[in-house]
Amino acid sequence: MAEKRITIQATRFDPEKDSAPRLQSYDIPFPDDSMVVLDALNYIKAHVDGTLSYRWSCRMGICGSCGMMVNGTPKLTCNAFLRDYWPRPVIVQPLNNFPIIRDLVIDMDDFMHKLKSVQPWIIRKQEIPLGGGEHRQTTAQIDEFKQFSQCINCMLCYAACPVYGLNNDFLGPAAIALARRYNLDSRDEGFTKRLPVIADSEGIWECSFVGECSVVCPKGVDPAKAIQQTKLDTTLRFTLPFGNRD
Amino acid sequence: MTTASYETVETDVLVLGAGGAGLRAAIAAAEAGTRVMVVCKSLLGKAHTVMAEGGVAAAMHNVAYQDSWEVHFADTMKGGKLINNWRMAEIHAKESPDRVLELERWGAIFDRTWQGRIHQRPFGAHTYPRLAHIGDRTGLELIRTLQDRAVHTAGVDVHMETTAFKLLTADGRVVGALAYRRSDGSLILYRCSALVLASGGAGKMYRVTSNSWESTGDGIALAYDAGAQLRDMEMVQFHPTGMVWPAGVRGLLVTEGVRGEGGVLKNKDGERFMERYDHERMELSSRDVVARAINSEVIAGRGTPHGGVYLDISHRKPEFIKSKLPSMYEQFLKLSKVDITKQPMEVAPTLHYMMAGVRVEPETGATNVPGLYAAGELAAGLHGANRLGGNSLSDLLVFGKRAGEAAAAASKGNPKAAAAKLDQAQVEQAIAELMAPLDRPAGENPYKLQAEIQDVMTAHAPIVRDAAGLQAGLEKILELQARAAQCGAGGSSSLAFNPGWHTARDLRSMLVNAEALLRSALERKESRGAHARSDYPKTDDQLASVNYITKETPHGMSVEAVSIPTMPSHLAEILQRSYATYTPEEME
Repeated sequence: MAEKRITIQATRFDPEKDSAPRLQSYDIPFPDDSMVVLDALNYIKAHVDGTLSYRWSCRMGICGSCGMMVNGTPKLTCNAFLRDYWPRPVIVQPLNNFPIIRDLVIDMDDFMHKLKSVQPWIIRKQEIPLGGGEHRQTTAQIDEFKQFSQCINCMLCYAACPVYGLNNDFLGPAAIALARRYNLDSRDEGFTKRLPVIADSEGIWECSFVGECSVVCPKGVDPAKAIQQTKLDTTLRFTLPFGNRD
Repeated sequence: MTTASYETVETDVLVLGAGGAGLRAAIAAAEAGTRVMVVCKSLLGKAHTVMAEGGVAAAMHNVAYQDSWEVHFADTMKGGKLINNWRMAEIHAKESPDRVLELERWGAIFDRTWQGRIHQRPFGAHTYPRLAHIGDRTGLELIRTLQDRAVHTAGVDVHMETTAFKLLTADGRVVGALAYRRSDGSLILYRCSALVLASGGAGKMYRVTSNSWESTGDGIALAYDAGAQLRDMEMVQFHPTGMVWPAGVRGLLVTEGVRGEGGVLKNKDGERFMERYDHERMELSSRDVVARAINSEVIAGRGTPHGGVYLDISHRKPEFIKSKLPSMYEQFLKLSKVDITKQPMEVAPTLHYMMAGVRVEPETGATNVPGLYAAGELAAGLHGANRLGGNSLSDLLVFGKRAGEAAAAASKGNPKAAAAKLDQAQVEQAIAELMAPLDRPAGENPYKLQAEIQDVMTAHAPIVRDAAGLQAGLEKILELQARAAQCGAGGSSSLAFNPGWHTARDLRSMLVNAEALLRSALERKESRGAHARSDYPKTDDQLASVNYITKETPHGMSVEAVSIPTMPSHLAEILQRSYATYTPEEME
């Protein structure tokens, strides 16, 4: 029986030489049904073309480094099985909506600023000293926001978001979900501190509820839900009497 | 030769590495009032700490009221087969509860007890349930919390995807580092008055490892080159349970939490073989014992078709498994199409952690080189000959904080160090060595050399070692050092995100670690903890008081035995006590 093979078309772009990204085709063996796109890239780098550049780290879907466009959809490549594409070729491109540094590597500096702007930490009016033990929190209280805490900053939601594609100033899905995670945390008292950023013209109201962010999220964070809930919450704060109090 | 161009960046405390230890050190140093620059090889928040699963060990006695720092201390020393630095073990056991509480203050989520306190799970060789955790993704929560805390701590700046390749000294003191940006190959010369190394271990020198590509032992090699002493370099941990198939994820970690939550190990005959290796603690014996047991079963022909053993938790309720081990459930279902609520997993040992590393002073993480501090996996001492699960995350927090504070104090005490006159020749030579592979289009492929290092270490420094194998391995590593010094960049001479060129530099780090491991393993002529020798199968009581120190001499790398100071009586007495076994009143 002939060896099973698969074609990978990967974006190549060297800023020192190329004026625009192009696709390069690699025909590689596909001996094992459990191979993922990242395995294919590692095979190419080790055996075919050592110059191919991409980010990866953990191989287990927890570090969020290896996000790329796979046949047009944002995916963690460590979690995208070749068997789902074979015998068609697999087109691997850098994540949409970000500047390319080289090949499949994107520039995500922008997100780090957005992350900080939503103040993703517990804000208390009064700190309890360490000797006072932990804040008590029940499992039910954690379940209120646990979903929004699973984000691995992989940027797939930004690559899927048409609003972010048109306007890079949009705070974006992951950052808003993170703000929601803290706003819902029973230990936190920082809602009004985060409000100016969340409700800003580049905040939640930019979202046109396409919902793609939640479709592509590999961790089930559901940023679209976080954004819609925040819209409702924010509106109530402004419209109900005394709503803006902590 | 032309003078290389580089940007100069000045700070007070330079931290290399942004995992748990590096970030905790950065926060501590900034809170002490110094400017801090964190330089890390990958993106912020992606460091290896993110992959930790099981939890943070801290004697908070939220689940077992009998727990105390004394019991944690005793467990750590016994697990480390007594060659730990006892003072580090004491500090660690006493301070880890506060470091966990602090994380909770900063926003970390933990699984909770019914009273709303931080829940603690049982783990191998811990007498009582002790690991604070959130499901099986504790590392992600820890690094996320530290990352968010660090970015809003005034005075902390971060340079991501930047790799340090040389520590700079002036008058014997570390005063800076040279680094390159991975994105464009541009060079930065960092000036500082104190430096904290926190860049993790060197698992990548083995073929089957739970570690990712970053773990090439850079910090240990940088420290060694700067004159720092290394300690017990033979002590690397094989985690008993790594995935064995599919091939692409061989070595990936299967958390000890599976056994903590009741998982049992069986050989192909269905026998619960731990009965024969540690009748008392069974699956929750220490990692060295379980790893060797699995290794022995496979060698004896009682392994699974893929060369491992079975790990089975399917006797627990599916909802319990999915809530306590969600990542494991998902990982096996997606990668191997194995439903762990119904079927057993196949597992085998995987290189996981270095107890070995830079020799440090217990209170501060200071190395023997002035101005240089070390914390986290790359610092040695706390874990001795074997690390207990959960003691790594607590190590990062406790000693990361201490190293950060000590570096801040050193920086304040030596404000002029950052302006010391640098030896320009030292700078030029380091840059020339870094750049050289780009000018060797016909040089050997660095990936090929990396694979050869992995083959040598896998064959010659496995779970069970012997003198002939170690000696032959050492000769091969020395030969690889010569070849690596002449290697190319893997096909591209570009400076922009060129992984072949980056790997060429990483080879140097891996080879220093590999040589030190082999030399030190040859010296320790006994079996102790993770270091097992077929030619010296017994533990030698005389060597319970000996550490092996590796350092650079005019004749190259040398290893010498150093006596461990006698443990003070109040600590020795703790080790003599016996502790009531914990029996949970009911299992969920």
